[in-house]
Amino acid sequence: MRKILPHPFIPFQGVTLNRTRTLLKKIAWSIFTILFVIILNFFLFRVLPGDPARAGIRDPRLKKEAVEMLRVRFGLDKPVINCFDSLNPIKIGSCSVNPLDTQFFIYFRNLFQGELGISYHSNRPVADVLTERLWNTVLLIGAGQILSIVIGVIFGVFAAWKARTAVDYTSVVTSLLVWSLPTFWLAIILLFWGSNHGLPLAGKSTPGSSSLPLLKQWADIGWHMLLPTLTYTIVYMGEYTLIMRSSLMDVLSEDYILTAKAKGLSTFQILKDHAIKNAMLPLVTIIAINLGFTVAGAIQIEAVFSWPGLGGAIFEAVGRRDFPILQGAFLLIAITVILANFLADLTYSFLDPRVKME
Amino acid sequence: MKHKILYLLILVALILSACGGGQSAGADASVVHIGWAGSPDSLNPGLAILTEAYTIFGLVYDSMYTLNLNGSFTLNLASSVERSDDGLVYTFKIKDGVKWHDGKPLTAEDVSFSYNLYKDTPEYPYLNGYYTPYFSSIEATANNEVILTLTEAIPNIESQLVFLYILPKHIWENENKIEFENTTMIGSGPFKMAEYVQNEFVRLTANKEHFATPPKVDEVIFQTFENQDALIQAIKTGQMDMVTEMPNTAVTSLKTVKNIEVVIGAPFSPGVSDIIFNQIKEENCPTAEEGGICTGHPALRDRNVRLAMAHATDKQKLIDVVLLGLGAPGLTLIPDGLGVWYNDSIKDFEFDVAKANKILDDAGYLDTDGDKIREMPDGSRPLTFRLNWPSDSITAPRMAELLSEMWAGIGISLETQAVDPDALTAQCCPAFDFDLMLWGWASDPDPSTLLYVYTTESVPTGSSETGYSNPAYDKLYAEQQVELEFEARKAIIWEMQRIVHEDVVYIIPFYEQATQAYRTDRFTGWVTNQPKVELSDVSSLAFIEPIK
Repeated sequence: MRKILPHPFIPFQGVTLNRTRTLLKKIAWSIFTILFVIILNFFLFRVLPGDPARAGIRDPRLKKEAVEMLRVRFGLDKPVINCFDSLNPIKIGSCSVNPLDTQFFIYFRNLFQGELGISYHSNRPVADVLTERLWNTVLLIGAGQILSIVIGVIFGVFAAWKARTAVDYTSVVTSLLVWSLPTFWLAIILLFWGSNHGLPLAGKSTPGSSSLPLLKQWADIGWHMLLPTLTYTIVYMGEYTLIMRSSLMDVLSEDYILTAKAKGLSTFQILKDHAIKNAMLPLVTIIAINLGFTVAGAIQIEAVFSWPGLGGAIFEAVGRRDFPILQGAFLLIAITVILANFLADLTYSFLDPRVKME
Repeated sequence: MKHKILYLLILVALILSACGGGQSAGADASVVHIGWAGSPDSLNPGLAILTEAYTIFGLVYDSMYTLNLNGSFTLNLASSVERSDDGLVYTFKIKDGVKWHDGKPLTAEDVSFSYNLYKDTPEYPYLNGYYTPYFSSIEATANNEVILTLTEAIPNIESQLVFLYILPKHIWENENKIEFENTTMIGSGPFKMAEYVQNEFVRLTANKEHFATPPKVDEVIFQTFENQDALIQAIKTGQMDMVTEMPNTAVTSLKTVKNIEVVIGAPFSPGVSDIIFNQIKEENCPTAEEGGICTGHPALRDRNVRLAMAHATDKQKLIDVVLLGLGAPGLTLIPDGLGVWYNDSIKDFEFDVAKANKILDDAGYLDTDGDKIREMPDGSRPLTFRLNWPSDSITAPRMAELLSEMWAGIGISLETQAVDPDALTAQCCPAFDFDLMLWGWASDPDPSTLLYVYTTESVPTGSSETGYSNPAYDKLYAEQQVELEFEARKAIIWEMQRIVHEDVVYIIPFYEQATQAYRTDRFTGWVTNQPKVELSDVSSLAFIEPIK
């Protein structure tokens, strides 16, 4: 599980640009980054040792011709790119091959036609596999994120408001404690606890529930989500509490808060109208980054509760040299991270007028 | 405001859990819940590789023969079979009244369609590559007979046909054979495919009209557990009625749990663990074009060194420590789980360190520089071997440690390192760029697959791991491939095992045992008295009954 230390937020300074130009520049950079990822993705997996055509099957009965047939089917018989037949081991090939007939070009062309390819392992279209998995992950991590943000923010506000009281200390200590819990360990503990209370230990739904009315189907999924979401929430809420607390305490020490107090506003009004909104900025950064990685899934939680998410799919695909799945998944993650950061940038200027795109 | 949201969320969670709780409590008594650690890779029989897929095929489809848990075969889909005198033509009379799950009749047309499909689709790497190479033609006759003509008279037709599942022509002829995912899976077997979610579960319903083995239960659900602790916990708490696998560490604790029976025996596809000696000779090294590198330590080409290492290997200790006792000492690549084919008359090299040391002394491998490691007779290099194993192996690291200790006792040192399985394949075969490896095989019901691994012919193909080459053995291999008399073929196969054991081509530390468990308070009738253990086989699932 990734964890990010709280860090002070540094607003943009001294740059005044045309609003549209800034936006365009940001979009251009995002597109450039995605393009870079697409290219990197292709080479990243091909420098790994091993032959995908043989990775799944290690069997004496697999004849040379059969391996060759697999390579043809996956398009692995073509040179990787001009001058290189293979990257690991490095095999120099002819530089005068038709560039349109290289793995690299075919990959690129397919991608722009919305084709992610066929999984080497399951022989299913990558888009199908990833959509299934993505939806599961978004559901689980989405619920976990929302819960941990809500709970984290509430605890954080309480702690900052009642700074240096028993409430504050309790919440800080608890946050530090749950934040430092090993995810895997907590998940196992909850799994054992849940198994004695009839909670499901694997999967996303009860087999056969697809014939039930929609509401019951959702209830069933919710029931299966209980333990993994609880794990996720506990692990993440500490982080949000601590960031919210420290950020809000900074804001509460500002002069304008003193002014507000002098004006006779109630604590609730001060928090609601003046403090929380400003204190949210660092939290937005963290949330944006975390949301970006949401797609990658929480591999450990998914593994313990056999949640069929994207994290697990990536983990399995690495072992099987399932390049199309890996390329697709990495592309998806890259796009989400870039998009999340892009949206975070936009949110800043909304939350804090000092961060302006004039 | 935020408090309200929280309360709302808690409320929603409570409602959801209330609904869900009701559901899980209302489970039908006649649904068998099976927990396993995998999921089928594909439901297209031509493309699938994983055993999980084959388990499902075995339940949903029929094939010409059934493989029994004692290793024998029973004719299944045909009422009779006739073999021509030259052994080239088989005539199967297909049983009448067999129906597909969609109600259409299963006829000889479907059988010949399926066999032709497997034969003519080279993109089916597994089935086409191994099970159909001897098929010349397959025809269906008017009176529901299938005539299978072979190119060579082979002795093991049953094992060639047992995994060639019969597919419905009326569905498959309209599909792209390679892209077809086959998730609705119309078959003719004792179970029907009801619902399949990859990496989650497979739900099968009973085909009570099955011609041979109509199940007594109504439904079977295979649930995927990525986490083995969860799997064990699920059978302990009764969420699962049976689990198809478990870590050896869980066996002792599970045995003590009330209402749970742990079953131990040879696996359905018997497994072999091997210690591989790279003994390839220069003249046999595959060409650079074929990928040969051949950097093996020269000492390993000497049988005396291999023999000494065999004498210095305490197999029982390896079994006790690495497998927690759940294994049988190994002899050759042909495991005890293969029943009649396993040569149990071979006497293994006894564990005797003194004898091992003497063999090395006599052969001239002496420790000339006093560093406790022997040198080659010409003093050129010490007996220090690289030992590699696939990094995904659970047992290998412990085994490597134990072997280092054991062989240190005879003046042999090891440089041990785990390697990514794919990189290891690249190092292994046909590159022969290693000294020693720990790896293993799963066996086909017929021994010829693993016997092939010892042949000279298999050296450049990447199947041979040792580079072993023995013309006498190769001749016997060719003979058993065409010997139609069972006893005569068995004698050849036993002799082949004796030869490779005598030549110390491998050290086979053990044959791993399968461990499965079922709950005794849910269903009765699990088959546990056979040499092989497979509770998710038709032999159990079609016969178990709920306990009232």
